[in-house]
Amino acid sequence: MNAKSVTGRKVLLVSLLASGLTLLTPILAFASEEGGESASGGFALLIPKMGEFIPALIAFIVLWVILAKFGWPAIVGMLDKRAETIKSSLERAEKARIDSEYLLAEHKAQMDETRVQAAEIIAEAKRTGEVVKAEITAKAQEEATDMIAKASLAIEAEKKAAIAELQSSVADISVAVAGRLIGEDLSDDAHLKLIERYVAEAGSLDAN
Amino acid sequence: MDALSGLNEEISHLLNELASGKLAGTDAFYVSQYTFWMVIAAALMLIVVFAAKKRLAIVPEGRFVNGVEALVEFVRKDVGEGVVGHGAEKHLPFLLTVFFFIVINNLLGLIPGVKPGTGTMGVTVALALIVFVYFNYYGIKKQGVGHYIINIAPKGIMFPLNILIWCIELISLLLRVVTLSVRLFANMYAGHIVLGTFALLTTLFITPAIQQLSGAAVAGALPAIAWMLLLVIMYAMELLVAVIQAYVFTLLTAVYISLATSEH
Repeated sequence: MNAKSVTGRKVLLVSLLASGLTLLTPILAFASEEGGESASGGFALLIPKMGEFIPALIAFIVLWVILAKFGWPAIVGMLDKRAETIKSSLERAEKARIDSEYLLAEHKAQMDETRVQAAEIIAEAKRTGEVVKAEITAKAQEEATDMIAKASLAIEAEKKAAIAELQSSVADISVAVAGRLIGEDLSDDAHLKLIERYVAEAGSLDAN
Repeated sequence: MDALSGLNEEISHLLNELASGKLAGTDAFYVSQYTFWMVIAAALMLIVVFAAKKRLAIVPEGRFVNGVEALVEFVRKDVGEGVVGHGAEKHLPFLLTVFFFIVINNLLGLIPGVKPGTGTMGVTVALALIVFVYFNYYGIKKQGVGHYIINIAPKGIMFPLNILIWCIELISLLLRVVTLSVRLFANMYAGHIVLGTFALLTTLFITPAIQQLSGAAVAGALPAIAWMLLLVIMYAMELLVAVIQAYVFTLLTAVYISLATSEH
């Protein structure tokens, strides 16, 4: 199938070439005839005619002067300006990119530092809290102990006072009771002596 | 192939047609159709450049401005900076004028019936002569008259030979006017003849079929399709040639400026 199509193409190509050559033959023949016939006419073509030469000279110089002054510099200037704009824009973009990268890095560093500082502050606060807590507890305990001690002392003093008062009232009552019982009033001095003796006895008894 | 019998006469007619047709003036000095179209091309060139100038912007918009700018940039980079190198900016207006003048003339010539300036020796010689004066002027300005004349021949050749080489180089220098002008003219002229011939052949083969409308006449007109196809292909090629010849002319101008302004 493939070989067939290749052969077909070759045949087509050859036939095209052949027909092309056939068609061209008359022209080639004609060209040689014409060349022989009009050799002088051909050369005449190469002689510039003043009616074409002078207007062309003037037209070109006029175009050159006008365009060199008002045409080309504007276009070339714009090309330069555009190139410059593109260049400076690219440079600015590059600078902005570098700046933003630097700022980003700086912000990141600041954020990291802040985070570390915050962690430190929290840790410090925790430590301080612990210390304060311990101090408060210790102080409270001390105060409590103090208060208990003071209370004990006060109680002891009150107790002693109460005992002393009781002792004196007991003596008074005893004298009164004894006075009534023996029907005589003892003089206060004798009375007191009697009681003291009793108390002493009672104390000695107590001691026993 | 009856159609071909009329070809000889038609081609002669075409060649006569292509020879400078007189518009006004005497036989010794007359304005031809080529002059007319050259002036039209010059006006068109002014319109193109000033229209592009009017639409210039930092951010270019539209194909027209972009196209003109691309051509200017091409002449500037590839011809100016690429060939002349240092100091090319000074010659850029001249190179741009040369390039645009030729390319607009050449492209205008592709319109059937138009006889562009570059299709006749009068105009191409004028262009070549301006280029010749231009590069010699800048060569002399840069090197001084004496140095420039001596430097026509390359340095480092021993005594008797260097005079011979100098003479040959001088002739080659003077012939630049001829080579520049003939190259451009011959390319354009040949292109017009080829296009004219294929157009004529197409017409000659198709005319009997239109006149008679018989089966045989229609069959005989079939080669017209091939001629038409060739005409289209040649048109594409002539479009290429129109731009290439403008480029070649401008490039050689730049080469001559470069040779003249740099010491050998």
